[in-house]
Amino acid sequence: MDEPPPRTEATSVSDSSPLAVSVCDSSPLLWRVEDLRSVRAQGLVGALLGALPRTPRQNVRLGRPLLLLPEEERLLTERHVGPPTATPADNQDGGVELQVQQYQEAQQRSYEEQSVLALEDRKSALLRAMTSSPTESGDESLRCRLAALESSFTFPRSAMAVQLSTARAGLSYCADTRDFLRADRPIRAQDEPRRATRYQVFRDLRGRGFYLTSAGKFGGDFLVYPGDPLRFHAHFIAVCVSLDESLSLLDVLAVSRLGSNVKKTVLLCSPGPAGRVAYTSLQWSGMV
Amino acid sequence: MADPNKTDELQFYSEILSPSELFAARSRSHKIPVRGQKDFFPNDSDEQRQRLEQSLNEQWSLISEERVEKLGNLVKATWILSEQIVELQSPAGKFWQTMGFSAKGKQFLLPEEALYLMECGNVQVFYQDLPLSIQDGYEMFLSSSTVSLQQYQVFGHLKRLGYVVHRFHPSSEPSSYARQLNLPQCRDRAGRQLKRKRSASPTSSNTEAQEESTADRLEEGKHGYEGEEDEKLPESQLTLSPETSSTQAATASSAHKGGGRTWWMTDVLKDRPDQRPASRTSRWDFSSIPFPDLGSRKCLSSCLASPDPSLLPGSLAVGVCDIALWTQKINLREVKMSSKEQKREEDKRRRRWDVNKDREVQQCRNWAEYRKLLARRQGKRKGRPEHLWDREVTPLHDPRQPIPTGELLDKISVIESTHLLEGASRLKGSDDWRISFNVYQPDSVADFKKSNPGKPYSRMCVCSFDGPVPDLRAIKLLSFQSGDIPVVFAVVDHGDISFYTFKDFQLPTDVFP
Repeated sequence: MDEPPPRTEATSVSDSSPLAVSVCDSSPLLWRVEDLRSVRAQGLVGALLGALPRTPRQNVRLGRPLLLLPEEERLLTERHVGPPTATPADNQDGGVELQVQQYQEAQQRSYEEQSVLALEDRKSALLRAMTSSPTESGDESLRCRLAALESSFTFPRSAMAVQLSTARAGLSYCADTRDFLRADRPIRAQDEPRRATRYQVFRDLRGRGFYLTSAGKFGGDFLVYPGDPLRFHAHFIAVCVSLDESLSLLDVLAVSRLGSNVKKTVLLCSPGPAGRVAYTSLQWSGMV
Repeated sequence: MADPNKTDELQFYSEILSPSELFAARSRSHKIPVRGQKDFFPNDSDEQRQRLEQSLNEQWSLISEERVEKLGNLVKATWILSEQIVELQSPAGKFWQTMGFSAKGKQFLLPEEALYLMECGNVQVFYQDLPLSIQDGYEMFLSSSTVSLQQYQVFGHLKRLGYVVHRFHPSSEPSSYARQLNLPQCRDRAGRQLKRKRSASPTSSNTEAQEESTADRLEEGKHGYEGEEDEKLPESQLTLSPETSSTQAATASSAHKGGGRTWWMTDVLKDRPDQRPASRTSRWDFSSIPFPDLGSRKCLSSCLASPDPSLLPGSLAVGVCDIALWTQKINLREVKMSSKEQKREEDKRRRRWDVNKDREVQQCRNWAEYRKLLARRQGKRKGRPEHLWDREVTPLHDPRQPIPTGELLDKISVIESTHLLEGASRLKGSDDWRISFNVYQPDSVADFKKSNPGKPYSRMCVCSFDGPVPDLRAIKLLSFQSGDIPVVFAVVDHGDISFYTFKDFQLPTDVFP
């Protein structure tokens, strides 16, 4: 495949750190922020599925994981052919007991450090309060108060902040390392002609610099954005049809009517010979 | 050996927060930055590039944020792999009102509930004494044997909107047989049994007192037993207005004097000593159930035929019912009508056409003359071409019979419109389509009871844009399974979820009789 120049940087970025595609119920998910960034840098958008940690109970902005379209997954796989993916640091080494021990030690360390931080926090608050108050009773009483605070201060274990990791990390149970850091997964049901058509259209449009997302709600295959979907509206609804496929006029009318209603142009995309894709746009003519 | 290994990992995964970062996260903002207006077309200007960069930075900082909670606010739980379920290790939080279940004195969460609560930062789940990440949760909890990723997407979407979402169990729905009989639902049996136990002993010890007189109780109702007794009364009686309840009391007392009780009370007390009448009466609409009219003169036979065996459970046999005993108790005197009413009845009778009252027909002395008369009359009528009526196939309607337009339309509609549930009970079930969730509206959360959730707002069937559109058969099957609760199809398209329903539609007929 012949790529336009901007993409080469992106591939070099991704080559340096292989993607960790995790498979959940046979869907490809990305979990690590660096993977999400690297994929976005390659112009692939995906779809966020998880609850946003900051405000989990809303559907407007979602968080990790990122679900890849089958076409995105395949494009990534094609780019990462060749170099075997790195295997993760072997967690299984010392067995589960060792990991549990490490985890508990880390928790204890974290508790101790946090209780020191909490005490410092309290002290500085006290200092601020004392120095700002007009009744200056001297350094003596301040020192007294600080000493009293230090001796009486306890940091309850329940106040310790704990991280609920999003991506699987070092100190957690690692079920199956085989699924981990793998980019050359076999594509499922690849032989389906429909999938092949979609993939050819996807790769061609991406190669022309467009960003693509799925367009089920618009009755098409892809929504086509001129730039990053964060900043731009979609211009086209891509409908993938192979060249020898006959279309019902009613379907064509329905999809173009829908497109004009949402102020987007409908593109009929048909992969032709030699990797070329023929695009046909549908528009209502102004004739009465 | 463990140490260098670990530092390697920490470098590799930069997503583990240090204690100081964890501590600092306590005072973190919970606001989501607002996204500005999008541009139409990229024009390579610096301004656009800057704005894109800003948006992306915001996006990455939002997405890279890790969940940090105080240990005291987290409910601890463990994943039980063999049972595909999560067991709580510390007391449950507020979520217990709408999620989870208890069994054998332990508290459990279903995998999708646990995963959702992990994502909300309420629950920390451990496996082999190590905490599971959200990623672990997705990979371990979601499978075809529990809940698929698409089903979880729908579950999470609805939960985040505030709906109460429970798994749908086909067995908890009344069977078609139970629905045909209009049986009261007993899904909340467990909860009720507890209550029954409490009231069981006073009931048995007080049967005597109860048998003394229902009327006394209603009228006086101030004595020692009052509290307990009241509980046993059907709800409908308690809510009656004063006059009706006193008349009921009167009938009850008269029945008592006559040496027996009203038969329905006997029935309830004898056949189902453990069933509280309240639950039965409140669920049944007696106005819609036809009872045999024993007082009617036409009902001369002294026995009621046995009920249709197709409506009875297999082993049960019900013989004919002797009604002689009952007819004795019923007032069989004829109704005395006023002269006005009598006249009205007569008018009604006169309007009914009777061949024998026709004077010309009366003059006929034999069949031949009658046939001649008929032929003569038919000849007079122009509205009915004879040749259409002397074959096997005749027109749908005889134009000589005037009927309202609406009825006429009904009569000539050969192809009748059907509705979703028609014939659905005869269809065989299939596994291709199934309902996944019961959904209850967010405003019901305040007084929601898991033991008695009531009627769901809707039921969710999860499917995908990649899959087929449900055919009429599937829609019929699902809506039959769901009864009177609408089935909503949640169609997942990668990140997007669209909801669709198929509804019966009656074409309007603008004819008024």
